[in-house]
Amino acid sequence: MVELTGREIIPGSVPPIPASTQLLAVAWLRWRIFLNGMIRKRPKGKRQIVGLVFATLLRLIVWPMLALIVIGPVAASGFLAWMAISQGHSKDLASLLLGIALLWQFVSINGLSIAATIPSFDPASLVRFPLRFGRYFVLRSLLGLMTPSTIVGCLALLAAAVGIGVANASLALPALAVLAIYALMNIYLTRMIGAWMERWLANRRFREIFSMLMALFAISIQFLNLQRTPMRAPGARQSWLLAVLHSSGSYLYWLPSGFAAQAILLVKHPLAALAQFAGLLASAVLFAAVFAVRLHKQFLGEYLGEGGSRRASVPLAPRKKAPAPQPAALSAPASSSAIVSPIMAACLRKEWLILSGNGAQLIGLVTPLMFVVIFSMNRAFSAFSSKYFLPSAIAYVLFAALSSLYNIFGADGRGVQVYLLAPVRMLDVVLAKNLMSLAIIATQVGLTWVIICVLARAPVPAAMQISTALWTVFVVAMNLAIGTMRSIQAPRHFVPGQGRHLRASPTNRSSALLVFAVLFGSILLQVPVAIASSYFRLPWLALWVFGPLAVAAVSAYALMLSSAERLILANRDVFAEELCKA
Amino acid sequence: MTTPAIDTTALTRRFGDFTAVDNVNLRVEAGQFFGFLGPNGAGKSTTIKMLTGLLAPTSGSIRILGQDLQANSADIKRQIGVVPEGMALFGRLTADEYLRFVGRMYGLDRATTLNRTRELLEFMQLAGEQKKLIADFSHGMQKKLALAAAVIHGPKVLFLDEPFEGVDAVAAGTLKAMLLRMIARGATIFLTSHVLEIVERLSTHIAIIHRGRLVAQGSLDELRAGTWRIGQAGTQDAVASPGEEKRSLEQIFLEIVGTDREGNPAATAPEQELSWLS
Repeated sequence: MVELTGREIIPGSVPPIPASTQLLAVAWLRWRIFLNGMIRKRPKGKRQIVGLVFATLLRLIVWPMLALIVIGPVAASGFLAWMAISQGHSKDLASLLLGIALLWQFVSINGLSIAATIPSFDPASLVRFPLRFGRYFVLRSLLGLMTPSTIVGCLALLAAAVGIGVANASLALPALAVLAIYALMNIYLTRMIGAWMERWLANRRFREIFSMLMALFAISIQFLNLQRTPMRAPGARQSWLLAVLHSSGSYLYWLPSGFAAQAILLVKHPLAALAQFAGLLASAVLFAAVFAVRLHKQFLGEYLGEGGSRRASVPLAPRKKAPAPQPAALSAPASSSAIVSPIMAACLRKEWLILSGNGAQLIGLVTPLMFVVIFSMNRAFSAFSSKYFLPSAIAYVLFAALSSLYNIFGADGRGVQVYLLAPVRMLDVVLAKNLMSLAIIATQVGLTWVIICVLARAPVPAAMQISTALWTVFVVAMNLAIGTMRSIQAPRHFVPGQGRHLRASPTNRSSALLVFAVLFGSILLQVPVAIASSYFRLPWLALWVFGPLAVAAVSAYALMLSSAERLILANRDVFAEELCKA
Repeated sequence: MTTPAIDTTALTRRFGDFTAVDNVNLRVEAGQFFGFLGPNGAGKSTTIKMLTGLLAPTSGSIRILGQDLQANSADIKRQIGVVPEGMALFGRLTADEYLRFVGRMYGLDRATTLNRTRELLEFMQLAGEQKKLIADFSHGMQKKLALAAAVIHGPKVLFLDEPFEGVDAVAAGTLKAMLLRMIARGATIFLTSHVLEIVERLSTHIAIIHRGRLVAQGSLDELRAGTWRIGQAGTQDAVASPGEEKRSLEQIFLEIVGTDREGNPAATAPEQELSWLS
């Protein structure tokens, strides 16, 4: 044991801390967190090989998709900017810049950022250190710049500057300078929205309302699209959003995108260009100032939680005398009329209480159905064939629903210890959780079925309905079997319906890949069967293919259940490490 | 009259219609080991958060080392150390990295930071855990690290929220010795703990908060003698009736917080409750 030297414990007066020391310390912290995040505990032996295979497959699928997401908007921005200048459509430049800003903000608000997936660092926690507000503001402005929305947005603006420069070399430098300020404006707009959203999203009710609004927004865009492309005009498909942007060019001159476009285009009239540039700069300063106001409140110790109002409003209930002892109550056998055991009933009730109290989760369950309604009303989707539309819609709904089967203990967190400590069969707990998931999936699939049967233009053939039903049983049973096994072997704590800085998704990467592989594989199986059935005029072919598969999948699930108890006992340490950690 | 290390006037914090801390007047002299007690949900952590600048008060003022906290938060934060309720560690760092970061944030030069980091890791018996991420530490190890981070810059006032929770007996003994040494060298320590024996052994002065209100404040001897003050705004220096005999801190605490606001016993006698327990 060492002795701490006395003079080091109580220092005398000290000079001010240089800004560079603190800023570099935070940069170093962020770098170390990034580096340490790369170091993961690698399982050994067979599990290591399986993990490597999964990781490689996931990268093969995800990276090209990510590349497309980045390359698409960037290339389009460059091309559209070049076209706007070279063809003399100067108004289109303002529309393009507005489009980039809207996409930037929409992606950012939806929390599709790398920072949101790193729960170990919250920049707001820096307020406990002796920072001056100016430094805190700089740090909060810089931290989190490496998000997909910012990277893609900045690259798109750079591409636009290049496009402008290629079309007219004399505009290259002004475009670069103006679009740099435009990027800064967008960064502060994102920061401003994020900071205020953080304040509002701290309230659970607001989070639920916000989720509903975002879902409604996405749905309403689809409805607007329907109105622009009514069913009786099948050839009139066009993007209403681009049309609106295109036709509103003159109004855009009063927005930052208009200021930016004009500042570039009026470069031959320096005073006018400077005035437009000043307008753009002023909007960037305005957003930064509103962001600073919010940050300053946070810096002074604003509370973002939900408060204790509910605690205060609950009066102390008068104590009642305890009822007479009933020692045999717990061990009494279940009534013969009960469908499920008391333990399963208790677990089901607990699952229902958690689900019914989580508005965001409920909205997440309803949203796919709304999209099915929209797609059913859209001629382009429903016209390709009613009989193929039914399995496609079921697959779409299942894709969102099945992920919950892969981490059935994740939402319990430390609460999972109750199951491990209580004198219950884990099989009952697993069954109860699966039953609840099945009830949700069955409701969603059933409603989808009804929606399509009601809204479809032609009745869905009986053979297709039966084969889709069997295919659904096969897919759900197979996912139940694999999902339950993954839930036991690779649990992952998550908070249902939560937003930024918290794990809100029930699946880890390998489980997400499994859901994708199983569903995609089964669809790949269904397509040739459906085509062959149609080509050879064998309407019941699908029945003979998916019937045995469904029976096999249900058997596999039953087999999985029989070994669930043993598997859970063997994986207790995994539960403790992943779900019960501080 | 000396400048108190901590001085609050009518400190109040409301969350909606719930008042977590209500008109609290605290005065902690420099060099005191001050125990801040209260039942669960009494307002201890909220008070600490306000005193350390992590939570803004709804009303009232806070002066630390003679300076107004709101106006001089950065200067004050430099002179205080905190082990907060949730420890607020960065789980993706190692202990060594974390202490080096904290040292730099408090303005220590590189050499001093490295020396103190090494010394503290050895002192806290964490030197053997160089490669381990903080997220993989046990609760007790995280507490020790949080305490190390709180003292690395040599604070004049140290705020400790349940510092011994989860810490093994050997380490707890070492930590207590370190804290007493800091007091001997002139530091002020503000400690909250539910373990009354520890508070009684370490603290020279005590305050008790109950349902957001300060219900007792004084030296341990004053509390024992029943001549403590009530630190509520408007009722300052009201003196309780002296007791007849010397009581333990636990007895005093239960006597004070064991009643509701109307003076009725807060809990029914244990034998009348849970009669089905064997």
